Amino acid sequence: MSANCDIEFTLNGVKRQLSVPAGMSTLEMLRERLGLRGTKYACGEGECGACTILVDGLTLNSCLMFAVDCDGRELQTVEGVAASEVGARLRDAFVANGAVQCGFCTPGLMVQASHVIEHNPGAGAAEIRRGIEGNLCRCTGYKKIIEAIQAAEQKNG
Amino acid sequence: MHAIERYVRPGSLEEAAEILRAGNVTVLAGGTDLMPQTHAGRVKFQSVLMNVRRVPELRGIEEHGGVVRIGALVTITELRESALVRERLNVLWQACDHFASDQIRNAATLGGNVCNASPAGDTLVPLLALEARTVLASKPNGSLETRRIPLDKFFSGPGRTLKKPSELLAAIEVPLPPQGFVGEFYKHGTRPGLDISAISIAVGAQLKGKVLNEVRIAFGAVAPTPIRAPRAEAVLEGREADAATLEAAAQAALGEIHPISDVRASDWYRRELVRNMLKRVISHVGQL
Amino acid sequence: MGDIGSSLIGKRIPKLDAPDKASGKTRYIHDLEAPGALHAKILRSTEVHARIVWIDTAAAKRLPGVHAVITAADVPWQRPIGVAKDHLPLKTDRVRSLRDEVAAVAADTEEIAEEALKLIKVHYEPLPVLTTTDEALAPGAPQLHEGHANNVAMTFDYAQGDVAQGEAQSDVVIEDVFRLHYVTHCCMGVSGVIAEFDPGGSLLLYSNTQVPFLHKREFAEMLGIDPGRIRIIQPPIGGGFGSKLDVYPFEPIAIFLARITGRPVKLLFTREEEFLASPTRQPVVLKLRSGCKKDGTLTFRTVETVHDNGAYTSWGATTPFVMMQTVSSLYRVPHCKYHTAAVYTNNPYAGSFRGYGNLQATFAVEAHMDKLAEAVGMDLLAFRLKNAQEPGEVTPQGMHFKTCGFKQCLTTAAERSDFVAKQAANRARWRDANPVKRGIGIASMLHVGGGAKIYPSDGCGTILKVDDFAHVTLITGASEIGQGSETVLAQLVCEELGLPLSAVSVVNNDTDITPWDVGVHASRTTFIAGNSAIGAARKAKAKILAAAAAKAGVPVETLSLSQGFVFSENKKLFELGKFLRGLHFSDRAELVMTTFYYEPPSKHQDKQFKGDVSAAYAWATQACEVEVDTLTGIVRLLKVTGAHDVGRVLNRLGIEGQIEGGMVMGMGYALTENLVVENCTVKNPNFRDYKLVTAPEMPEMDISFIETMDGEGPQGAKGVGEAPAICMAAAIANAIYNATGTRIYALPFTPENVYRALHGAAQAPAWGKAA
Repeated sequence: MSANCDIEFTLNGVKRQLSVPAGMSTLEMLRERLGLRGTKYACGEGECGACTILVDGLTLNSCLMFAVDCDGRELQTVEGVAASEVGARLRDAFVANGAVQCGFCTPGLMVQASHVIEHNPGAGAAEIRRGIEGNLCRCTGYKKIIEAIQAAEQKNG
Repeated sequence: MHAIERYVRPGSLEEAAEILRAGNVTVLAGGTDLMPQTHAGRVKFQSVLMNVRRVPELRGIEEHGGVVRIGALVTITELRESALVRERLNVLWQACDHFASDQIRNAATLGGNVCNASPAGDTLVPLLALEARTVLASKPNGSLETRRIPLDKFFSGPGRTLKKPSELLAAIEVPLPPQGFVGEFYKHGTRPGLDISAISIAVGAQLKGKVLNEVRIAFGAVAPTPIRAPRAEAVLEGREADAATLEAAAQAALGEIHPISDVRASDWYRRELVRNMLKRVISHVGQL
Repeated sequence: MGDIGSSLIGKRIPKLDAPDKASGKTRYIHDLEAPGALHAKILRSTEVHARIVWIDTAAAKRLPGVHAVITAADVPWQRPIGVAKDHLPLKTDRVRSLRDEVAAVAADTEEIAEEALKLIKVHYEPLPVLTTTDEALAPGAPQLHEGHANNVAMTFDYAQGDVAQGEAQSDVVIEDVFRLHYVTHCCMGVSGVIAEFDPGGSLLLYSNTQVPFLHKREFAEMLGIDPGRIRIIQPPIGGGFGSKLDVYPFEPIAIFLARITGRPVKLLFTREEEFLASPTRQPVVLKLRSGCKKDGTLTFRTVETVHDNGAYTSWGATTPFVMMQTVSSLYRVPHCKYHTAAVYTNNPYAGSFRGYGNLQATFAVEAHMDKLAEAVGMDLLAFRLKNAQEPGEVTPQGMHFKTCGFKQCLTTAAERSDFVAKQAANRARWRDANPVKRGIGIASMLHVGGGAKIYPSDGCGTILKVDDFAHVTLITGASEIGQGSETVLAQLVCEELGLPLSAVSVVNNDTDITPWDVGVHASRTTFIAGNSAIGAARKAKAKILAAAAAKAGVPVETLSLSQGFVFSENKKLFELGKFLRGLHFSDRAELVMTTFYYEPPSKHQDKQFKGDVSAAYAWATQACEVEVDTLTGIVRLLKVTGAHDVGRVLNRLGIEGQIEGGMVMGMGYALTENLVVENCTVKNPNFRDYKLVTAPEMPEMDISFIETMDGEGPQGAKGVGEAPAICMAAAIANAIYNATGTRIYALPFTPENVYRALHGAAQAPAWGKAA
């Protein structure tokens, strides 16, 4: 087992302190140590985007991030995004546009979509498609997800 | 999984080099390769895990005296958003645009991509075409030393490089290509990004009218390492990209590659792609 | 709510569970905590086919934190599982595939359980391996299962008319062999289960199953307990698509560990395990011989298929039920003969997957529709229209098409995609210099749309409660697997009771509460559970109106329910909640609670596979436009134009979602997905090399609904869940032909396979061969 390291970071606006093994992933820390189960495991290799979180304003696959690397940084998970103004708009748009089916990929998409909207306001459909290319969805065929993100963008403007 | 006994976060290049000198160190940068590799057991952790994210010398994209220095910690997203890269190193910019996904581009570093030395590494192919070199830092005798290795000499096999365990990749240096230098990066696959290429091609050249000069061709995923194709370059040098020249260049290139069959493509198909797509990419470059 | 008479039917109704899902609040099985739970891991075979000589678990048992290490020897009471009951959850003396379960561990953490697996030693004695159906069928091949000579697991034979006579009447006869490949479901939520026994020996199972009531019975038999002592709770499911229709070894294994340790046991797959050990859609080699007359009339069809069953029999072996329907009844064919042999090999075993054999059958049949039309010089659309089924038809197989929008589907999809003109224009460009070609292809499908009576009952029960505040609890046997069934069921109830959607809660995930349902499969939930919900709601409505009529002293015929009121003609008579409270707190106290069981008027097929197996049938035509780069073999799907006979649109948002998602899943089957199995080993157990369609690859989608208002359907609707995935590969194949003049008979159309076909490569691909 790996050495434990003390880390301190901000998670959804709240300061957190904990001790984590050096080899642990941020995904595991969030789900198993902090009980935040909105962030999903679906591949563990950065290929599906279900575990997407925001770190210092950029999205990452939390399954690829070492938990020790969270030290001193600012994290937002789907729970935090959903509570934000952009998150609320996205949630309403995902619901109204039928972007959710089984819903397992949805938390990762919510976080990634919030990043696309914040980082590239006014992104067109093509840019949104590229923006979510790292998020796999098996149910929807993506069309309604893209429409939802566009709808959330427009409400902003 | 081997145990990590110590986790360290040096605050300077000196400090990082000192830790490396002591040995048994796994270097952590973006983590996008290290995490799945260690998890699957393909890479074993050394007893010390060194996170280099706080080393300021590893950051930044700057141009000095005709050389662009890209810090090893620069992420693919930073490269993709850099005007300097987009304007002057466009073939590298194209590769960054076709690199994995937003989430991975935000985390993955150029240094990590180079050190990982995948035969299919997306940025390696344009960097070869841009005649980039690696800057390696170490502290063998109590003081910081650096040495430079041209990228086309740097890779020694799949996942293997000439970097010594005591060395840290500090930066990539790219000489600014001459004015009028244009290039194109091609990555074979059905997706724009999130794909490991079955083959990739970077072609760069300076155009004088329709004549190609300073021709540089590099391939990914057709040999144990990413490679330059000097014979194909020689065929094109000083010529127009007419059909006969393209065919001759393609034939030369086929003599320079050593593709294998794997789950992504057969060697036969890789050869067909190199022949067909090299011609297409060069003729695009010839029209830029 | 709007005026009296306003309706939710056909509107865009958001899914009831979407807000929670979009907030990260939904708790899937992976997210549930059972206090004191142990974590289980399974040791799988490292040999494709071998005798187990011994298993040594001593070192694993000694590892701190390990609570149990079990092998078959520890559960002598285990019983065979699966459709043919041909394998034990934990293998005893022999493994037949790399996924085979040899031992299992329950430990304090997943990490400890994984460590313990590494300490288990198994000594195998390798046996000869059957990598293909050809090898398995060869004379003298080793036999994989007792009682299955020649390794044939199951056979299916169907015949109508006399194919020899049909062939004699034909002006054109063609024959081809089609090869279909391995794919897998790739549910985003990996497989998992939590098993827990109470001190009295009753089992509580948190399970992702699509068929909870059938599973109860299987587990009860295995455990030797009364099925009444098994309760299955289904947390929200991270994708089903047919993958959760059978009992798979991991479920009983978790149950064994829970029983042996007396602790709750949670077992979750990794993604790699999901690729290695969850069901597949199996490779099929399909030989099709068809004929027609000069005027385009179809004369006969002969189909022979070999299914690679894998090492064990699950639902995949039974897909011929559906395949033969497409062969016999999609178009009018007087003479048909159908034969399938499902053959055991040492490959991963095949389950059911959205479309259930129909993707494979349609792929072959629709290729021949194109080829026959071309052979007799007919327009591809006209040829299909000439042979298409019509309403009222009873096919020789016994399927009765009470509603049938097939011809409208054909003409609508063709018109909206400009099919005929584009076909001609694309062919005219076959020989021009541009290496990038365009093509358009069309294909159609027939699928059950009113359930499928494969069990003695195809029914679904409903319990409906209207409380003192006019809030409705709809308790249904039908599970929600993401497809939106709970929203549609709530809509149908609202429609009957004149209530807003917010007045309905749906309970659908607990066998101790919900009434029986056969399970979520065969595109049946909206139709069967919908009719059941309507039945219960109508009984509640009748009860309320009768009481209201008595109270108001007016004839019951003049009363209706709308906007939360009892109306008399156009006048609000009583506020519903107040009225119900009055009914409750009266001298003759009464509550409004009803039950209903809906059994569709369909029939079990006879031994010759004849009979009207579904209460309604769904139809669809899809036109696919592609761009083919002949220098790389890359095929890009540009646009899909789909016309679907869905009976009636109930929830426009939901049905669009089903169709779009199905189209893209069918596109993945055709273009990108390929489970590479070489020497019985899955070579790409990850999303890096098993390629699902991603957002940038998504085609433009144009969907038309053909509303035929089925008389038996809930508000006229028919099932749609599987339909959109079925004809994509067939339409794309036809489009590639239209683009290039090359017909490709083997899936998938990955770049290398297409390139090989286009350039006539003599050398067979080293990897990714189909079947």
